[in-house]
Amino acid sequence: MKKHPIRLNVNGTEYDLLVAPNRTLTQALREDLGLTGAKHGCGVGDCGSCTVLLNGAPVNSCLVLAVQADGSNITTIEGLAEGTSLHPLQTSFIEKGAIQCGFCTPGMIMSAKALLDHSDRPTAREIREALSGNLCRCTGYQKIVEAVSDAAENMSRGGRKES
Amino acid sequence: MLLPAFEYHRPTGLAEAFEVLDHYAGKARVLAGGTDLLVNMKRKTVAPKQLVGLERVAELLGVRAGNGRIEIGARETAARLAGAGGIARDLGVLAMAAAKLGSPQVRNLATIGGNLCTARPAADMPLPLLVLDARVVLAGSAGEREVGLDAFFAGPGQTVAQPKEILTKVVIDRAEPGTGGGFVKLGLRRTLEIALVNAAALLTLDVDGKTIKKARVALGAVAPTPIRAPEAERVLLGKVASDELFAHAGEAAKQDARPITDHRGSATFRLEMVSVLTRRALHQAWENAREQ
Ligand SMILES: Cc1cc2nc3c(=O)[nH]c(=O)nc-3n(C[C@H](O)[C@H](O)[C@H](O)COP(=O)(O)OP(=O)(O)OC[C@H]3O[C@@H](n4cnc5c(N)ncnc54)[C@H](O)[C@@H]3O)c2cc1C
Ligand code: FES
Ligand code: FES
Repeated sequence: MKKHPIRLNVNGTEYDLLVAPNRTLTQALREDLGLTGAKHGCGVGDCGSCTVLLNGAPVNSCLVLAVQADGSNITTIEGLAEGTSLHPLQTSFIEKGAIQCGFCTPGMIMSAKALLDHSDRPTAREIREALSGNLCRCTGYQKIVEAVSDAAENMSRGGRKES
Repeated sequence: MLLPAFEYHRPTGLAEAFEVLDHYAGKARVLAGGTDLLVNMKRKTVAPKQLVGLERVAELLGVRAGNGRIEIGARETAARLAGAGGIARDLGVLAMAAAKLGSPQVRNLATIGGNLCTARPAADMPLPLLVLDARVVLAGSAGEREVGLDAFFAGPGQTVAQPKEILTKVVIDRAEPGTGGGFVKLGLRRTLEIALVNAAALLTLDVDGKTIKKARVALGAVAPTPIRAPEAERVLLGKVASDELFAHAGEAAKQDARPITDHRGSATFRLEMVSVLTRRALHQAWENAREQ
């Protein structure tokens, strides 16, 4: 298999990589760049635990070849906190008890972030729709929906909340 | 789940893509959104040795209106089509179906070209396109041809496209005034579900706002390919629209369907759902047509 040189901008940093064609974006992020936030779950698009933002839009990184993502901007859960200050979504997930085992959380938060990037005060229905591609085996979703709604409110009240 | 080994080609334009396809004598497979092909490769149901990525082929992007037609590039995603607001009267029914495909993450990857080329009997985007009388353009190094969507599907997973051809765009005619569409999908759960039965309808009302001048119904998951429902359409044509008429059309649609029983539902249940979904899709189309 001939490897391909690619350039990815991940969380604002440029990376040059040489990847085999059958390497997925999940693998490149986790194994080549050491960014293990995006989780590898089902590998076939069902669970959403591998969700990252590709040029701002949430995608299943297990269904994107690293080589296909050449030249794009990627945001992972590692890109949300600013220094020691957590993103309001991260804070509200903790405060609302929306994290149990935590496996689904990075993907869940990336889907929620994509929603809040476009919508200030989403309804519970809109939140459920935005998170519909993310499975959680622990929480029953109610706390997750509350956490997203809470974060939206905090953000519209004045930006990022200190943790 | 790991992907098997393959060589990857990254053409920057259609001409270059055709060269690669010709070079491998049709043995190379095209990769668009990957939501179908990469899943099948991980499950080891297919193992192409050569993949041709379309991500750099800009000619396959864009939705263009002109000359009474609308052309949709094959690489337009379900997410983009779900939000195609500007040409709502024409593409409203497609937007409804695109919005129901998979999950938000899948919609950001899944393309219209890929959804048609997978030729799944239960796929969502063929139905609105069937009621819109869409054509697809198939292109290769030898030139291009336009094929009506009703003649495009050849069986489950099979189309009339040659291995060396690329589906470049979908073409529809601009809608007449008084046209509205509807799309209904029944699954076992709300999202991330391939349809158990799905249905699309398109109605054009006469200037009186009541008489049905044109009627189209399409059904999915009830035959080896997505199908039109001519019996249902016949019931509707020239009649005054009403919910009773739609119920008759729903009954008639059962004659158009040939569902099978599988682990997800019985043929009998599917037939009942054909009539319910047809009725609902028609009602939606009627409401949308009256708003025009
Ligand atoms: C979790 C999940 C949920 C899903 N839910 C739905 C659903 O609800 N409804 C639904 O309809 N589908 C669903 N799908 C299936 C899939 O997302 C769609 O069929 C999608 O539209 C395929 O498009 P793609 O661009 O990803 O195709 P790809 O996977 O890239 O390609 C699919 C096939 O088409 C060929 N191909 C692609 N583009 C072209 C072209 N331009 N010319 C010639 N050949 C081409 C490829 O060679 C391949 O054989 C789902 C998939 C997943 C993973
Ligand atoms: S690992 Fe990608 S969706 Fe499950
Ligand atoms: S917190 Fe465990 S899967 Fe969601």
